[in-house]
Order: sequence, then C-alpha cells, then structure tokens
Amino acid sequence: MQVTLKIFRYNPEVDKQFHYETYTIEAEENDRILDLLEHVKGYKDGTLSFRRSCAHGVCGSDAMRINGRNMLACKTLVRDIGDRITVEPLLGLKVVKDLIVDMEPFFDNYKKVLPYFINDSPLPADGRERLQSPEQRARFDESTKCILCAACTTSCPSFWASDQYYGPAALVTAHRFIFDSRDEAAAERLHIVAETDGLARCHTAYNCTMACPREIPITKAIGELKLATLTGKIE
Amino acid sequence: MSLKRNVSLATGLRYRGQGPMLTYVLHRIGGLGMAIFVAMHILASYLGGDIGGLLNDIYENWAFQIFVFFCALFHAINGLRITILDLFPKLIEHSREAIWIEWAVFIPVYGIAVFVILSTALGG
Repeated sequence: MQVTLKIFRYNPEVDKQFHYETYTIEAEENDRILDLLEHVKGYKDGTLSFRRSCAHGVCGSDAMRINGRNMLACKTLVRDIGDRITVEPLLGLKVVKDLIVDMEPFFDNYKKVLPYFINDSPLPADGRERLQSPEQRARFDESTKCILCAACTTSCPSFWASDQYYGPAALVTAHRFIFDSRDEAAAERLHIVAETDGLARCHTAYNCTMACPREIPITKAIGELKLATLTGKIE
Repeated sequence: MSLKRNVSLATGLRYRGQGPMLTYVLHRIGGLGMAIFVAMHILASYLGGDIGGLLNDIYENWAFQIFVFFCALFHAINGLRITILDLFPKLIEHSREAIWIEWAVFIPVYGIAVFVILSTALGG
C-alpha cells in the first residue's frame, strides 16, 4: 500500500520556524511507524532526525505524536493508523531538531521525587535481600513498568501549561517507591508530591493513561497518591 | 537554538485525547461560562443605566440561558464524576464507563431544560 507520511521538520541551523514535509512511500500494513521513518531517513532524506534505540517498545526513545496522539513509533503499526500519517514531536518540550525534543525538564521533574530505593536500616541477619510477600510486590507492580518515554507527561494539559509540574511519569515513579514495603522514605516523598507543582496540578484529564505504551493505570496511581496525602495512610 | 516549548490553545485542542479530553475541555468551558455569567450579573448591577440594561438583556436572553445551563450542568456532573474518582481511585479502572454514565445523566436533563427554556421563550 502507498502511505502519505507528513513529518514535522525543524533544523535550528537553517529554519526560523518549523514546517512539514510530505513523503509518499510504499509500506506494508504490518510495518511500524518507525520503519517508515527509517525508510525516509535511509532513502529519501538523510537529514531527518529522530530518537530510536531498542525498537521494541522497551527503551522508550521514540515517543512522538502520531496522528495527534502520543505513541511509541516502534509499537504503532500502519494498519492501526491508516495511509495518511502525520508525525510530530512531543508537546511541551523544546524541539531540538525535527522529532527530537529536549528531555531535560522531564528528567529534572523525575529527579524531584527521589526515584531510587531508600532504606538505611541494617540488612536482615542473614545479610541477604530484604524479603517481600507476593501481595506486597503486587501493590506497586504496575508502576514498575514505566520506561520514561514521556508519552504520558507530554500528553498532560497541566504540563503543557507549566513544565514545573512534576507530570504523570514522575508521580508514577513516586507511587512505585511510596507503596514499596521495603522503602523507608514514603513520608518524605508524600511531602514532595503534595507540593504545589505536584498532585494538585493533576486534573484527572486521563490523557496520560491513554497515552502510556505500557498500559500503566497512571491516573489510578496518581489517585492513590492523592488519597494517601489526604489520609496519611499507605494501604 | 531550539523551538520554544509553549503549547498554544489551538495546538492543545488538536491533541486527540478522545472522550476524557473532551470532558476536560468542556469542564473548562463550563467554568469559564459560569464566570462570565456571574461577572455580567455583577457588572449589570454595578454599572446600571443603558450598559447595565444591555448586559441584563444578554444574560436573560434564552440563547444565553441555554449556554449557561449547559455550562453549569456539565461542570457540576463532570465535577461530581472527578470527585468520586479522586476519592475512590479503584473506580478509575472504570473511567470510560463513568464518562458514559455522565453523558447518560447529562443529555436527558439538559434536553428537558432546553425544551422548557425554548417552549417558555418561543411559546409566548
């Protein structure tokens, strides 16, 4: 089948403003959008720039807006989109070149929630791992799936308004550690997410959950954090 | 050099978030509509005279009443849905169904209200 691929283009060394370029290429229904971008870069215009790494939905490098919605280019098939495809960079982050955005504000927000395991207590007597029941592990299982692709955060209207808002990805990470029975910094993290630029800016728009390529119930995780900050209880 | 991050209203509205995004946008329009209504009310009383009378005529007009009732009713029902989901996060799994229920409540109530406003205004 023939596919019309319209791509957002911006070269900071040449362009003052962005523009779109359209390419008509042959594609299979089972081709991924990433395959089409690789084809354009390889055979039509080598200056096209985009991020990609694993190409299997694990690294989260190739999150972009495909036909107006955030998706991973490596997980999106042509048959699910149709033969007229528009590819644009993520919203709310500066465009460095073409489909590449500056991820720094995203990672700055991520760091705010202390995204690492904190436990200063001595190790168990046997000196081995800190044990956890399957139920305790299941409590935060979904939140561990985040690949930091930024599809959720850059689909959020609150983040579009202010990049000071921590965003769904950072809040999901906070959820992952707050509800981990082995971690000891839940109170500190709850205090952090209760700041003005934290949970209060989530207006339950639900875009994040719909954009997540790992199908993490993000709005639910944020809802659980909101309840935990209200009640002071982690259940 | 890089392009600024600002997301314009038009760009934001073009994001295809489907049903939940629609309710998010309508909720904001509802809030804005009510704020305009209240502001007109206050201004009409404060200014009086011809301008006050003109503002009075606008917000008492049946078309404006249909608009304001849309704003107030949608804002209230959608706000109730969000409040319930925020208080009971487990229900967020059923967010899609919650939006369908919201529309199922909103459409008949708003339909009846529009019918009453129109039959009163145009029926004489």
